[in-house]
Parts: sequence; structure tokens; C-alpha cells
Amino acid sequence: MVRITVRVNGKEYTREVVESRTLLHFLREDLSLTGTKEGCGAGECGACTVILDGQAVNSCLILAAETDGSTIETIEGEAKNGKLSRMQEAFHNHHAVQCGFCTPGMIMTIKDLLRRKPKPSRDEIIDGIEGNFCRCTGYEQIIEAVLDVTGQLGKKEGLRHVR
Amino acid sequence: MIHDFRYVRPERLDEVLDLLSDRGEKGCVFSGGTDLFVDIRAGMTTPDYVVDLKGIESLHHLSFDKKEGLSIGACVTVNELIQHEAVKKHYSILAIAGRELASHQIRNRATVVGNVVTASPCGDMASPLLCLDAEAVILSNKGSRNILLSDFVTGVKSTTLRPDELVEKIIVPSRMIDATGGYKKLKRIRGHDLGVVSVALLKRKDTLRFAISSAAPTPVLLPDFPPSASVEEVQAAAQQAISPIDDVRCSREYRAFMVNVFIERLMKGAE
Repeated sequence: MVRITVRVNGKEYTREVVESRTLLHFLREDLSLTGTKEGCGAGECGACTVILDGQAVNSCLILAAETDGSTIETIEGEAKNGKLSRMQEAFHNHHAVQCGFCTPGMIMTIKDLLRRKPKPSRDEIIDGIEGNFCRCTGYEQIIEAVLDVTGQLGKKEGLRHVR
Repeated sequence: MIHDFRYVRPERLDEVLDLLSDRGEKGCVFSGGTDLFVDIRAGMTTPDYVVDLKGIESLHHLSFDKKEGLSIGACVTVNELIQHEAVKKHYSILAIAGRELASHQIRNRATVVGNVVTASPCGDMASPLLCLDAEAVILSNKGSRNILLSDFVTGVKSTTLRPDELVEKIIVPSRMIDATGGYKKLKRIRGHDLGVVSVALLKRKDTLRFAISSAAPTPVLLPDFPPSASVEEVQAAAQQAISPIDDVRCSREYRAFMVNVFIERLMKGAE
């Protein structure tokens, strides 16, 4: 066991963790933050994406022990006081959520992308989410949600107008 | 994780070397962990302990010097490499190939040195580094040695690294700063995927140099060609040098065919 202190979504946690425990399992099982999902467990699907010290990472391939002293952002930090974040709102408006399993990772990846590139082109969005698999939407609604939230979608484009 | 292990994070290089010297064969060093933890989870490796190198400041160094060339420390991530101004300017082939390695999330953790030391036949960093005559600087308690990457990788996931040794850094010589080049990678989907086959081309004033990955147990460096070489000449040499296999990702024939396609595209500057 090793003692770690991390700041997750602004809240500090100190816990004893098993040394071989991944950050993903630490978040889900020790902190009960189950928004972050486990898909492949091998760094391919991106469902477990969180932002660690300002960088999007696959939490399934990182040990909790490595993150002592780190700042972590997860999907639970998005909605504030019962109000969805702008990105969550855009996902909702554009039907970018179907089964929802990829959504937490997808939103964390896009949050990181928009910090680096506040107005990404369609191609930059596609490149940006290359590490996040979505098996429902065919990605189009997700791309439209990002274009909308960055003010790049025309009035009749996307699915916002059919709500 | 299915397998239990101890986690160690030394802060000094000599601590790591002592540990490796005492019981190196029982442990694994790592920085990004993007290969190691996949293997542990799959039960392919069962170390007693893992040694996190990220606590060692000197291993994070990424520097360029007109005399010494490019120095890539063991903990330098692929994203740090491809975003580095000197790399983009002087070693563009590394920036182009690095961009093809996995996804942004993985590139934030995976290291250049780790990609080479893992020695997977489909690693993206090895073939451009081979073209650039890169060397590994290897440390142990007994001293240090330098080895060309073309001599370092000996087979599928096998290198000349001994259990008591650590790759401290990779050095890319400064004489290569005039080189341009390209990297073509075949994958099954757009976005990140393991390479089905890939070809790197390094162009210098007087030579063309090709390296091919995922088409033999190790990345294959072809002999140098003059700039006047024909596509057919290079393709013939490539087919002699490679020994592709059939596997879940693609057939032997398709790999061999795509090597020729990529050679032609690289030489003609086509997409």
C-alpha cells in the first residue's frame, strides 16, 4: 500500500492505495467517481480519458501511485450546481450521446483539445478525438457539437434545430 | 491489475542502477507505462516490482545543439518530441512519424525511448531513428556504452539491453539536420491504430535512405541509394530485405504490396 494525495475536480483526497491499482480503478472504486468508464483497459478506446495535470491521458494505463500530488479532472467536474457545462449541453442538443459509454472520455478529450485549440477545424476535431471510440453516433453528432460550442455551426446545421 | 507488484519511484539515477544490478531481472523500469501496463494486464509479464523513472530529473531532458545533435532522455514523451521546435525544424521525419503513433492521450505518456526499447516490429519511432543513425546511450553500474539502434534491436521485442542496464537517452547526430523526409503508415482505421506496415524515407543531399517497419522481426534499414535511384530499384531492394508474415491485421502479400506503394508515394512526394 502507498499513501497518495490527489486533487480531483477541485477536491483533495488522501487515500492508501494498492500499488498495482490503476488511476481508473482508484477513481471508480476508491473515490466512487464512476463517471469515468473502463472500455478496453488497454489504451485503445479512450473511454477512461481524464485530464491529469492539464493533459488528457488514458487512466487505465496509469497507476494511482504515479499520480501522488497531481490535479485530476473528470466528467464529475463538468456540471456545476445541477447545470450542465457548455460542452455537455452541446452534446445534449446535438444528440451526441446515444448509449453514453464513450461520452465522459470524449468530453474530457474535447475539453483538453479546446484548451490547446480554442477553434479547431473539422479535421482538427477528427484528429483530436482519434483516441476515443464511439460505436453509436458515427461521430458526426459529436463533431457537430464541438463545432457548435466553438461557434462554427450555421443556423440550420447540426441537430440543435430539431429539438 | 490482475497481477500484484510493488511500485518504486527513485529520485536518483544511481538508485535505479543499483536496483537493476541487484535484482534487475525481477523488475521492469517504465515511464509512460503504455506498453508495460497493457502487458501486465494481459498476463504477458509478471514483474515483482516496477520502477517509475519519472522522478529522475535528468531523464526528462530534450535538447538540441548544433554540435551534439538531438538528445532525447528516457522520459521524454512523444508529444514533447513532436512539439519541440528544433525537432520540427531539423528532424522533421521524427515529427511526422511521431504524429502517427497512437492517440493524443497515449502520446502524452508514451516515451520515444520506451517505444524503441519495447522493440515491437510495428513501433513508429524506430524506423525514422534508424534512418537518422540514432544511438542509444546505455548505463549500468559498470559504466556506459553507446550502440547504434540498428545494432540494438535484435528481434521481436528483443534488444541487446541486459537486465542491469538502462537506456538513458537516444542521440540523433547533428550531421542529419539537413535531412527531410516522410513516413507512410498503413492502418485499418483512420485515427490511431497499430501499424500494419510502414515506410520511412530520409532524404539528404547525396542519399535516399529507407526503413521499413512491421515487415520483418525488426525494423529494416535498406542500404543507401543515390538521389537518382529509380522507384523500381528501391522496391526490388525492399522486397529482398523484408520477410513479412500473415497475422490478424493483414496478409503477407498485402504487406509486401503496400511497401512498394509507400516507396513510390514517398519518392514521388504523393499523399
